[in-house]
Amino acid sequence: MNALIIFVLLFGLMLTGMPISISLGLTVLTFLFTMTDVPIQSVALKLFTGIEKFEIMAIPFFILAGNFLTHGGVARRMINFATSMVGHWHGGLALAGVLACALFAAVSGSSPATVVAIGSIILPAMVKQGFPNRFGAGVITTSGALGILIPPSIVMVMYSVSTNTSVGKLFMAGVVPGLLLAFLLGMTTWFLARKNNYPRLRKATWAERFAAFRKSGWGLFLIVIVMGGIYSGVFTPTEAAAMAAVYAFFISVFVYKDLRLSQVPKVLLDSASMSAMLLYIITNAVLFSFLVTSENIPQAMAAWITDSGLGPITFLLVVNILLLLAGNVMEPSSIVLILAPILFPVAMKLGIDPVHFGILIVVNMEVGMCHPPVGLNLYVASGITKMGITELTIAVMPWLLTMLGFLMLVTYWPALSLWLPNLIYN
Amino acid sequence: MKLLDHLEEWLIAFLMAAATFIIFVAVVHRYASGLDIPWLQDQLIQINMSWAQELCIFMFVWMAKFGAAYGVRTGIHVGVDVLINRLNTPWRNKFVLFGLFAGALFTGIVGTFGAEFVYDIAQHDSTSEVLEVPMWIVYLAVPLGSYLMCFRFLQVAWNFHRTGELPKHDHSHVEGLDEETSGGKA
Repeated sequence: MNALIIFVLLFGLMLTGMPISISLGLTVLTFLFTMTDVPIQSVALKLFTGIEKFEIMAIPFFILAGNFLTHGGVARRMINFATSMVGHWHGGLALAGVLACALFAAVSGSSPATVVAIGSIILPAMVKQGFPNRFGAGVITTSGALGILIPPSIVMVMYSVSTNTSVGKLFMAGVVPGLLLAFLLGMTTWFLARKNNYPRLRKATWAERFAAFRKSGWGLFLIVIVMGGIYSGVFTPTEAAAMAAVYAFFISVFVYKDLRLSQVPKVLLDSASMSAMLLYIITNAVLFSFLVTSENIPQAMAAWITDSGLGPITFLLVVNILLLLAGNVMEPSSIVLILAPILFPVAMKLGIDPVHFGILIVVNMEVGMCHPPVGLNLYVASGITKMGITELTIAVMPWLLTMLGFLMLVTYWPALSLWLPNLIYN
Repeated sequence: MKLLDHLEEWLIAFLMAAATFIIFVAVVHRYASGLDIPWLQDQLIQINMSWAQELCIFMFVWMAKFGAAYGVRTGIHVGVDVLINRLNTPWRNKFVLFGLFAGALFTGIVGTFGAEFVYDIAQHDSTSEVLEVPMWIVYLAVPLGSYLMCFRFLQVAWNFHRTGELPKHDHSHVEGLDEETSGGKA
C-alpha cells in the first residue's frame, strides 16, 4: 500500500514537469511527514552523506575530461584515423563514423558527448560526399550510444554507486559487448550502403594510415591511461578520471592547440554545472532509495516475484520492458538511480550476476537514448543536422532494430559480458 | 545581484579546477615518491598528501550545492516535460509555476533542516578524519547552497510570471558547430 502511495506521488509530481531531483525529494518529505515516524534528523543526515563517496567523484572528472576532448580537436583526428582504416569499404565515411564513435567512446563516458564530438564533424562531410542526410544522422545517433557502453561510462558509475558493484568490473564487462555492438552497427551500415550504392573513398596507403594514427595517438593514449590505469591497479577509477581530465586539458591546449586558454573557464563552468545537476539528482535519489528500503519495498517485490513463480528469464524480460518504457520519459542517470536500488535486490534473489545486470541496464539506457520522446542523442543529432525529431526517428530505425536484437543477446547470454571481467579478476 | 551571479560562477569553476588539480598532484606525488632519485625522494616522502581525497570530496560537495543553484538559473535541471508541453498555454504556465514553487519549497525546507543540523553539530566539536576541519564548516554548504537555490527558484518564478520566459538549457545545442564545419578540414 505504502509502495503504491510513494510511486503514485512520485509520478504525479514528475508529470508536472518539475525537475526530477525535486520530485524525488518532495516525495520523500511528504511521505515522511504524513505517514511515518522516521525521525527527520535521519533525513538531514542522508542529505549530507549522500554524495560523500570518493567513487562518485569520478562523475565530475569524466564530464570535465569529456568536455575538453569535445572542444579540443581529439575527435577530428580520430575520425581521420578511422577514415583511413575503413573508408574504402561500402559505406565509406559512415563506417568510419561508427569506428570513430567507438574510439571516442573509449575516452569519453557520455553518449550525447560522443554524438556531438563525432557527429558535428563527420555529418557535414558525409552530406558533402552525397550521403542522404537521414542515413548519416541514423548512423551517428545510434553509434554515439556506444559512449555509455564502452568504458569509461558515467551511467556505469551511477549503477555501481547505487548497488555497490565494482566499477572496475563493470567497465571491463562493457568492453566485449561494446565492441560487438560497434561491429553489428557497422554491419548494418555496410549492408544498407551496399544496397543503396553509397559513395566509397579511395583506399588509403599504409603510410597515410600510420600518419593518421600518429596524429591521433595523443588522444588514443588516453584509452591506455584510463583502462590500463584502472586494470593494472595504478589508479582507482576516480583517480583515472582525474588524470584523464588533466591529460585532456593538456593535449587540447598545449599539444593540439585547438582550445584557447581563455576558453578554459567556460569549459570548467559548463562541466561544473552539468556535474552539479547529476550530483543533485544523486543526493535526492539516495534519499529516495533510503525511503524505499526503509519501507521494505524491494524485499516485498522479491517475495512477490518468487511466489508468483517468475523465473530469471521472465524477470529479465519484464525488466527490459520496464526500462525501455522508463527510457521514454526520463534520462538514463535518473532511471538508473531510481530503479536500480529497487530491481537489484530482486535480481540478486533470482541469482542474476550483479555485473551482468548492470550491463543489461546500460544497454537498455542506450536504446532509450536513441528513440523519442526524450532520447537525448536524437535531440543532439537534430541540433547538428537541423532535421525534425519525427524524421530522425524514422532515420534511426534500421540501427535501432539492430540494437534491440543486441539487447536480447546481452540479456540472455551472460557470458558475453562476464567473460572478460572473470578472466581478469579471477 | 550581478556580483552574486559572478561570485557563484567563479566559485564553482574554481572548485572544479582545484579539485582536479589536487587529485592529479596527489597521484603524481604517490608515484614520484616511489622513484629512486636520492634527494628528490627524501623531499617528497616528507610531504603528506593523504588529505587530498578528503579535500576533493569536500570541494565537490560545495561545488554540487552551489552548482545546483547555478543550474536553476540556467535551467539545466531536467524534468519530464513531455506532458505539460502538450497542454494549452494557461495550464502549462500554472504547472510551470507550480514546479518552481515546489522547488523553492523543497530547497527551503532542506535549507532549514541543514541549518538546524549544522547548528547541532557545531555544539559538539566533531572534525573531519584527516584534515580535522570542523564538520559544521563543511556541512555549511547544505544550508547555504539550498537557500541560494530557493532564492534562484523564486527569482526564476518571478521572471517567468513577469515575462513568460524560462531559462532553458539547450542540451542539444552544439557549441562551436559553425566554426567546425567551415574550417573543419585539417
